[in-house]
Parts: sequence; structure tokens; C-alpha cells
Amino acid sequence: MQTVFSIGVDALAYGMVLFVISIGLSVTMGLMRVVNLAHGAFAMIGGYIASYAARDLGLAYAVAVMLAVFGTILIAIPVERLLYRRVYGQPELTQVLMTIGITFCVIGIANYVFGPTLKTIPTPESLRAPVSLGFRTVSAHRLFVIACGAAVALGLWYFIERTAFGVKLRASVDNAAMAAALGVKTEVVYAVSFAVAVGLAAFGGVVGAELLPIEPYYALRYMVTFLVVVSVGGAGSIPGALAACLLLGAIDVTARYLVPDFGNFFFYLAVILVVCVFPRGLMGRAQ
Amino acid sequence: MPMTASASRTVGRDLLGLALIALVGLAGYWLFPDNLAFLTRVISVALLVLSLDLIVGYCGVASLGQGALYGAGAYAAGIACVHGITDPVLLILIGAGAGAIMGLLMGAIMLRAHGLPQLVLSIAIVQLLHEAANKASSITGGSDGLSGMSPAPLFGVFEFDLWGRSAYLFGLGLLLIVFAVLRFVTRSPFGMVCRGLKEDPLRISALGIYAFPVLLKMFVISGTVAGMGGALAAIATQVVGLDSVSFEVSANALVMLVLGGIGHLYGALIGTVIFMALEHVVAAINPFHWMTLVGAVLIAIVLFAPRGLSGTLDELARMLTRDRWRAGR
Amino acid sequence: MKHVAIAALAAVLMGSAAHADVIKVGVVGPFSGPFALQGKNFKAGIDAYMALNGNTVGDDTIEVIYRDIPTADPAQSKALSQELVVKEGVQYLAGFYFTPDAMAATPLLEQANVPMVVMNAATSAIVTKSPYVVRTSFTTWQTSTPIAKVAFDGGTKKVISVVSDYGPGVDAEAAFKAGFEAAGGEIVEAIRMPLQTNDFSPIMQRIKDSGAEGVFAFLPSGPTTLGFVKAFNENGLKAGGIKFFAPGDLTQESDLPALGEAALGLTTTFHYAVSHDSAENKTFVEAAGKALGNPAELSFPAVGAYDGMHVIYKMIEATGGAQDAAKAVEAVKGLSWESPRGPVSIDPASRHITQNIYLREVAKADDGTYYNKEVQTFEKQGDPGLAAAK
Repeated sequence: MQTVFSIGVDALAYGMVLFVISIGLSVTMGLMRVVNLAHGAFAMIGGYIASYAARDLGLAYAVAVMLAVFGTILIAIPVERLLYRRVYGQPELTQVLMTIGITFCVIGIANYVFGPTLKTIPTPESLRAPVSLGFRTVSAHRLFVIACGAAVALGLWYFIERTAFGVKLRASVDNAAMAAALGVKTEVVYAVSFAVAVGLAAFGGVVGAELLPIEPYYALRYMVTFLVVVSVGGAGSIPGALAACLLLGAIDVTARYLVPDFGNFFFYLAVILVVCVFPRGLMGRAQ
Repeated sequence: MPMTASASRTVGRDLLGLALIALVGLAGYWLFPDNLAFLTRVISVALLVLSLDLIVGYCGVASLGQGALYGAGAYAAGIACVHGITDPVLLILIGAGAGAIMGLLMGAIMLRAHGLPQLVLSIAIVQLLHEAANKASSITGGSDGLSGMSPAPLFGVFEFDLWGRSAYLFGLGLLLIVFAVLRFVTRSPFGMVCRGLKEDPLRISALGIYAFPVLLKMFVISGTVAGMGGALAAIATQVVGLDSVSFEVSANALVMLVLGGIGHLYGALIGTVIFMALEHVVAAINPFHWMTLVGAVLIAIVLFAPRGLSGTLDELARMLTRDRWRAGR
Repeated sequence: MKHVAIAALAAVLMGSAAHADVIKVGVVGPFSGPFALQGKNFKAGIDAYMALNGNTVGDDTIEVIYRDIPTADPAQSKALSQELVVKEGVQYLAGFYFTPDAMAATPLLEQANVPMVVMNAATSAIVTKSPYVVRTSFTTWQTSTPIAKVAFDGGTKKVISVVSDYGPGVDAEAAFKAGFEAAGGEIVEAIRMPLQTNDFSPIMQRIKDSGAEGVFAFLPSGPTTLGFVKAFNENGLKAGGIKFFAPGDLTQESDLPALGEAALGLTTTFHYAVSHDSAENKTFVEAAGKALGNPAELSFPAVGAYDGMHVIYKMIEATGGAQDAAKAVEAVKGLSWESPRGPVSIDPASRHITQNIYLREVAKADDGTYYNKEVQTFEKQGDPGLAAAK
């Protein structure tokens, strides 16, 4: 029984890490209809900024996280204006080409500027200490990530479903011409959503760095994972992404515990089964 | 049936196209006699990209898992060769068969979904096969790669040696045959139905055509071609690694295809040759930071040639012959 | 016809090499992509050797040509090696980080009359693929065998083995198992986890449940080791007194700053520690650090490359710059020298390097950095892997 609880905690934590890291991609892919393979690149940029701020400049963790989020958005603004704006509404494969190109560039630049070694983001003492749950200990950082995931999910859901901006965003996505005719500045809406997505990517990159360490190849290494998780959830659906992350996280962790030799098999088998049963993803919108 | 004027013209154009490919291939043979191993690799990857074009460009099924078909061909040929079947032509056929079977399986699974989830299915399949190939190391050599194959000389005469001449010419011949057949297939009523399914599935179903078996058939053809590509790589390099059934190889193939322009067989060839040549040259000049430059080129192509290289070439050609086009309409 | 062509080619190459000329060495390695760090170390080792020993042997100038293979890709390796030999006219092939890449190029050697100096790839069988292969790195068997004895002698009798599921991981498991069971210990469980594992918590739970007193681990150096070691600490295994044994890939120096506190006290066996105390090593570390730009990036592939260059220089000396692979390889059989890692020699039978393997413990230096502190030496270790395969 204890083992079951223990695995449950690990599964929840891993699912939440997946969620925090990949939810930004769900926004770009589902709401903005851009297959943004450079999502990992932005997460990585966030990680590098946080690492530089916290480790080399010695700033506090919270400050480093803020710097990472806003710094990455700042970097992303010209990229959005110059590059992404050209591929909104283009065929998906063109977007793939463009964003892979961006990813290659970012990897190359990161390798050149920061070198190929692993970069860590020192966490404050309070997040490092193990916390006792009665039947086992778990690192405080994991609990912090779970809290972050919950906060992001709630905040984002509110932002998209309940605010005026969310309405404009959904309107622009469904019918840009009509939204524009009604006075919605679609360019601004897209720019803001892109900034939100990038900010989430950076946040996820920093918070998830304990599990997915920051190094130049980060941008490509985890791309498949992000893509899979978002698509299984149904791109653009916050509850869907959350459900997918928790489900796949649970399957992954349980399989790695029960049959560690075949851990990956079960992860991908689960993906195939879910997609076969829910061809649009768990909570995908009809298109 | 008497040949109509337009049909004979397309046949003429096809022959011209084949002659052009043969010419470029032979030019490569004479101009770069020291790079034949690389050029052979280009041909085997070109087969992979062609096979991807069949399902992406002609059926509208996006796949990031084409490596599953390529790898199936490579491993089947490799394993057969290690176990004493050494005739290269036979090995290509074995690769083609394995690719076709894998195509059947993969199509049967992938055609259940659409769009992004479909893409993810393709990724899941190739990752599963990758894991399986790693696990079955007693058969596949696992991560150390399958080595120790020595294919017999081609037609009993031409050996696969250091300079790689026979491998290259063998590959070129294979490419020409496959290309000719694919031109025929994509032009056939069956190919037209596939295109129709991509453009307007509703209208095609209104014609009473059931999509699944048609698309599945294309998957099998695609698998056959990809499997031949894999088998060619296995014969030419005499080693098969896990990379041949990987997400990376699949993603690269998709990038090359989009680069060249989807839905044209020529686009697949142009994309492969341009991308691999670029990567090869840039990586040789600066093996440490070439990725940045390749990335920049990809971005530039999206910005300046959004329809892919072959699309842009088409446009240029159309501009030059604009009057004729107008008159045609 | 073919023989005439080879003879003609050989004649041309030899003729050109007889008088003062440029001798080219082709180095294949991962210079970009996920293993760029290791490729960078290849280059640093080579640069360091050439900076310290000059770029000439006799009258001949040595030129190194690099070719990139980001991840294991045998087909690419074969194509690049072929091109290096045929087009660039290299007389020596070197580098090779991954086993399949090295294996793919071995069939070329005889026909091309070119020796191959493996600077990293660690599967025992590579040297058997061609008589022209010499290896100056290590094998996983070589570095993993001594730790079994260390574990048993330290009083740990029940060990769980946890390795990444790929060639070197399987080798490590086999080597440890052979050594540990021969000593009288028991492997309670052997887990092979997929290479792409991000979250190691379930594995740690598994280790806890197994009732083992210690864990033997092998993961490729790089990002995953960080997650593994952290999970080992965070899940209370370290605090729970479970011993940790591994070959040195897990605590390579360039990963230590990231591992930090978590790695403190980990015991590993390996052929090289940057901290090795000798004059040769001091000179090497300084030169290689300069070549890297950032000395913190220095890791074990650099020493393999450094000694690889030494072997190549000796080969060129012995052949007088002529292209004669058989003579070159013959000349370095039994060659012994003082490497930055300690005394080494090339075993004449296997053409693999015989070297000391050190037991090290991660310790904190006075300046707050972490390093592998050598605490015990296993002298003149050969490669037990070849014998085990027979």
C-alpha cells in the first residue's frame, strides 16, 4: 500500500512537471495554430537566463525566475515580429521548417555562448530540504512544481475562458477576418498570446530544470515529449493537457517501477491507445 | 487505346525527367569520384524522402515516423545478409518486402486519426520500433549496430568496395526505376484518388470511394520504397545502426521534403540533394557550429521560398511561360 | 584490375609521402549536437598534444581534419571515413566516440591501408574487427571490473545493478556481475532502464524495495546522470545508507559543477581523473584547458585523444611518413609511455591500452569546487571484456 502511495506521489509530480513545461506549446499549437517546434528552445533560453542570474549573479531564486520569464519574452518579441508573423496561417509543414530552423540556430548559439556543459539553477534552501509525507519523503521542489502546475492551470484557464482578452483570442483564432472586422486588433492579440506562451515555456524550463537539465541540446532532446503530451491532451485545451500529463505521467512512472526494462514501451503504447480511442486528443476541439 | 496528344506529352516529359536525373547522377559520379559513399547515402535518403512524399504530399497524411519503414528495410536486409543471403538485388527486395509489411501495419494504425494526433501516432510507432530494435540486440546488434555483413558482388561481378562505385551506380539505377514507377503510380487513377482525398475527402467519399483501403495501399507502396532505401543503405555501408529507425531520421526526412516542396516527386529529390549537400559542406567547413548556419538557411527558405524549392522553381517557370498559361485557361 | 588500382593509389600516396610533406589525420567525432562536449574534448586533447609536441614529425607536418557525427550513426561514419581516406587522403583515422561508428569504419582499413586509433568507443570487440585498430581510451569492462572488488571488500554483499539499456550499459552490468559474483557477492536484481529516462524516482523506489545494500549504476555521462544522482539523494537512498558504485562516466569532471553537493562521496573507478597528481598531467591539464577556453569543460575523452595522438606520432616516426598501416601498427604494439593518466602501454595481442584504474571519491576542494579524488590504484589493468566474450 505504501508503495502505491509512493508511486502515486511520484506520478503526480512527474505529470505536473510535464504539464508546466509543455502547456505553453498547447497555447501556440491549439490556440494560435502554429506548430511551434521551437518551444523547447524558448524553455531552454529561460533556463539559461535563470541559471546565469541565480548562479553567476547570485540573485534570489524568485528574482531569477522572473528575469527568465521576462527576459525570454523580450528575446521572443523580435523573433515573433520578424519570423513567426510570417508563418501564421501558413501550412503546418512550413511552420515546422521555420521553427526547426529557429531551434537549430538557438542550439548552435547556446553551444557557442554557454558551452556544452550542464547548467543548473541553484534552488533556495527551503526548496531543497526533503519534506516528510508520513509514509515517505519527497523533495520540497517537487511539491513546489505541483503547486506551480496547479496555479498555471487555473490561471491560464481563467485567462482564456473568463477574460475579455480570452474571448478576443478565441475569436481571432476561429475567424481572424471576422474578429478584425469587429474591431479586434488580431496582431496585438497574437503577439500577446505568443508572449504568454513563451513566458510559460521559460517558466516551465526553469521549474522543470531539476528533471530536464539545461544544456544546449535541450531544445531538441525533449521536443518529442512536449509534442506527444500536448497532442494527446488535444491541442489548445488546458484541462485536456492537464489530463494527458497526469495520465501519461502516471503510466510512465508506474511502468518504470513495475517493468523498468520496458518503461518506454508502455509510454508509447499508451499514446497509441489513447489516440486510437480519442482521435482528436483527450479533449481536443472539433476543427 | 490510342495515346492522346497530352498523354504522349507527359510521357515525353517523364522520359526527359528520368534522363535528367540519370544525367545529374552520372555527373555526380564523374565530378565527385571521391564522395561516392556520401552520394550513395544521398540516394538512399532520397528514396526515404520520396516515400514520405507519397503519404504526405499525395495523401495529406503527416508523418514524423517514416524512419520506421526505412529502418524495417535496413534491418531486414542487414539480418538477411548476415545470415547468408548476400545477393544485393535479393536484399533490396527483402528490404522492400519488410518495408511494405511495416507500411501496412503503420498505415492501419495511423489512419485512425487525423492531424496532430496522427503525427503523434507516427512518432510513437517509430519510438516503439526503436526500443524494440534496441531490446532485440541478439538479432539486431542493439546499440552497437548490426555489423559483419558482406554482400556478394553485384550481378556476380561488381564488388562493393572502398571507393563505392558499384554501390553508387546500383543505387542510381534503383532510384531511376523507383522514380519511373512512382511517376506512373501518382499519375494513375489510384494516385488521382489519393490526391482527391487530400484536397477534398468529402467529395471523394460522395463518389462512393472508401478512403481507408486507398490510403492503406499508398502506405504499402510508401513502405516498399522506404524499405528499399533502407536496404540500399545497409548494403552500401554494411552496417545498420539504431539511428536508421529513429525519430531523428524521420524528422530530417520531413524537413528535406518540405524544403523541396511537397506533392512533387521532383521536390523530394531536390530537397534531399540540397539539404544533404548543404549539411555536408557546411559541416566539413566547420564541424563545430554548422547547425546554426543550417538553421538560418531553413528560416531563409521559409521567408523567401515559402512553397519549397520546387514550388518556387515552378513559379519561376510559370512566370516565364505566363502567356501560354493564360491562353490555356 | 582492382589490385592494379590499389597498387597505383598506394604508389601515389607513398610517393607523395616519402619527402617532406603534410600527413593528414582524419578525426571523426561528435562535434555538435547532444555530445558536443565530448567532441570538444577530443579536439582539446589533440590540440594540447600538438601544442606541447609541435605539429611536425621528422620532416613531415601533421594536419588534423575533423568530421562531425552528432549521434551514433554508422552509415554516416562509414561515408565520412571513406571520404576522408579517398578524398582528403588521410593516412590515419582517429576519434570515434561511439562504438557503432568505429565498427562501421573498420572494414575500410585494410583496403585503404590506414590504421585507426580509437580515442573513446568503449566496446571490447572493436579491436577484433580489424588488425589495424589501436585503442587509447578504455573499455567499459576495464573500468567497471575493479569497482566490484571495491564493493565486496567494503562489506557490501547484496547489490542491485541499474544500467542504461544500450551496449556500454549492458557491458557494465556484465562486468560488474562477473567481478562481484566471483568475489562471492550477490546481485539481487539487474535493471536495464531505457536511455530516455527523465524521472528516476520510480527506479529509486525499486532500489529501495530490492533490499540491496548497494547499487551499481551506469549511465552515459551527461544530462541523465544529473537526474539519477539527484534522485538518489532526494529519495533518501543516500541518507538510508545505500552504497553507490559506478564507473567514472557518472562523475566526469565537466558534470561535477552541476552535480555539486549531490555527488559528494560517490565512489567510482575510472582510468583518468583530472586531479591525477603527476607532472605529465599538470602540463596536460594546462594545455587542454587552454585549448578548451573553459577548463571546467575538461573531461576524459581529452586524455584518450591526447594519447591517441601520441600513438599516431609514434606510428609516423616508425614509418618515416610512408603509408604503411601494418608497419605503423606493428611499431606501437608494446609501446609504453607516461600518460597524463599514469603509466600506460599498448597490449601487443589486443592492441588495447593497458593502464591503471583508479578508485576515486568525489570530494570538495578548498576553493569550493568538486573533484574526483584518487584513493586507490589498480595497476596495469588490461581489458577483461575480450576474454569474457569468448
